[in-house]
Amino acid sequence: MRMLQLVSESAIVPRLKASQRDEVIIELVDALVSSGAAPAKLRDELVKSVLERERRGSTGFGRGVAVPHVKHKSVKTMAAAIGLSERGVDFNSLDKQPVFSVFLLLSPEDRPEEHLQAMEVIFKNLSKDTFRRFLRQAASVEEVKTLLEEADNQLLAG
Amino acid sequence: MQSTATLAMSEPNATAVLLVVFGLLLAFSVLFTRTLDRLGVPVVLLFLVLGMLGGSEGIGGLVFDNYELAFRLGTVALVLILFDGGLNTSLASIKRSAGPSGLLATVGVAGTAGVMALIARGLGLSWSEALLIGAIVSSTDAAAVFAVLRGGSLRVKEKVRSTLEVESCVNDPMAVILTVAVVEFVRLSNAGGTASGSGGHVWQLLLDVPVQLLMGTLVGLAVGWVARWLLARTQFSTGGLYPVVTLASAFVAFGAATLVFGSGFLAVFVVGVVLGSGPLPYRTGLTRVHDAIAWMSQVSMFLMLGLLVFPSRLIPVAWVGLTLGLGLALLARPLVVALCLLPFRWKAREIGYVSWVGIRGAVPIILATFPVMAHLPDGERIFHIVFFVVVISALVPGASIVPLTRRLGLDEPETPTPAAALEMHSLRPMGGEIHSYHIQQTVAACHAPISQIRFPDGAAAILVVRGDRVMAARGSTVLAPGDHVYVFCRPGDEPQIGLLFGRPTGT
Repeated sequence: MRMLQLVSESAIVPRLKASQRDEVIIELVDALVSSGAAPAKLRDELVKSVLERERRGSTGFGRGVAVPHVKHKSVKTMAAAIGLSERGVDFNSLDKQPVFSVFLLLSPEDRPEEHLQAMEVIFKNLSKDTFRRFLRQAASVEEVKTLLEEADNQLLAG
Repeated sequence: MQSTATLAMSEPNATAVLLVVFGLLLAFSVLFTRTLDRLGVPVVLLFLVLGMLGGSEGIGGLVFDNYELAFRLGTVALVLILFDGGLNTSLASIKRSAGPSGLLATVGVAGTAGVMALIARGLGLSWSEALLIGAIVSSTDAAAVFAVLRGGSLRVKEKVRSTLEVESCVNDPMAVILTVAVVEFVRLSNAGGTASGSGGHVWQLLLDVPVQLLMGTLVGLAVGWVARWLLARTQFSTGGLYPVVTLASAFVAFGAATLVFGSGFLAVFVVGVVLGSGPLPYRTGLTRVHDAIAWMSQVSMFLMLGLLVFPSRLIPVAWVGLTLGLGLALLARPLVVALCLLPFRWKAREIGYVSWVGIRGAVPIILATFPVMAHLPDGERIFHIVFFVVVISALVPGASIVPLTRRLGLDEPETPTPAAALEMHSLRPMGGEIHSYHIQQTVAACHAPISQIRFPDGAAAILVVRGDRVMAARGSTVLAPGDHVYVFCRPGDEPQIGLLFGRPTGT
């Protein structure tokens, strides 16, 4: 599974406006809605589910990244949004550090295997120091896309 | 004074009868806890009432009016309870709540004592009585607070919970210091002491508080580190000896701290925290033993304090006690908490909650034996007034805690306990742990067969508990909402597993 397929261009937010966790999640769900990955009427429900998942344990698994996620029955295809924050966001992470890069993953409910595969790909890449560093430094949609492509082609070390 | 109808029996029968009555009281106490938990009444109250029933004026006929013995046994019980409290309090939650709970435990206690003394004086008590009662009821009680916040079906939000818990563990020294000082003061002034002597006393008191807190912390840290080192280095022949070592450390800490003018209660709590937050051999076994010891202490201590009360002497002080109890719950505590928490900019409902859950318990009752032991006039009257205040302060907020927590939205989603639990017992720290995860609809692993979940290399799901069934975690097992999954993993694997399963149960 390739990350470039998951993340559509209009769902990349290189400079997040929000600085609080809940608002960041809203901003990224909105980005997914405007990219056509989710119907607008689902927006509030999706935000609520993502936050509900966060309450069951933070998806900020440390080292400045977080992967909030949600499965929903009305979602037809899997999609992800990427948001970057310069100042860092308090995600109540495992290592208590602020989060600079957020992947928000949206999946259909009836295909949990695909959801898990996507989580694995995202986790594997975010575990690489180089990927995390370049992602945090990326300043434009283009730079993020280039980075995703390089990662998909396994051009990144670490 | 009533003449006590002693059991005219010789040993071993006297001991036999004593054990039968006490054993039955213990058993009844525990049997009733479920019912009371549902009603939200702190279970410790039940123990008190049963103690009264077992006493010389009740149906049990046990005669007990030895205040010094009660003080000793009560102190030992509190040591055991505070140690268990420390074991279960994480360093992180202490750090988070250090500011508010520290202020509440020092300035707050003094403030409460002052306001209570004023209320008592307003009710027509003498200044010495008013000051004594104020000092005695000034601290919240660790045993009661823990019982309410952890014992029942309730899970209160971390911020308020840790503040209340840490406050209740570290505010006893302040109350002890105040009480001892006021008892001394009253005794001196009764003996015709001069005002200048008491003036010097106040200054000494102001110095005494930081010294007590500092020495208590230092001794606690020292004993804690030595005990931790000892437990890590030495291998004992049987697991049963480990709790003996931890118990010993609690006793030594209390005694040593008290001898060097430190707060023994604080030292015990610190030892518990040091041991609980570090690597601890045989952890599950140890915490279970201390949990049981703490409950046993709790039940016995309140039963004993109940035995010490003579219901006939409660009636004359009923009005004063009731008014003081309500004054504490509705006026003194809320006022002091609101002022103490002002600099921390808490939400109004959080401040309200902390004010309301300032439950008093065994500490005031044990402190109330001080005036009796010092042979102050009206010592026993004060003891019975304090008893009343404690019961009111536990009953009124206690009964409303469950609905109030839900109403204010301060409860956390509750994780039901699985029908079966899997634990790893090891005498040494091993390179892996078993965590349990409660599967929710929202987590990634839900509805997926286990074979599709890519675990880190050293990790695997081993057992699934679904309702009343236990199942082997096979590749084809599909995880359903409500399942409890036990996962074996190495320490570094937790982030990845947490991402797929959510937060491990109990963290």
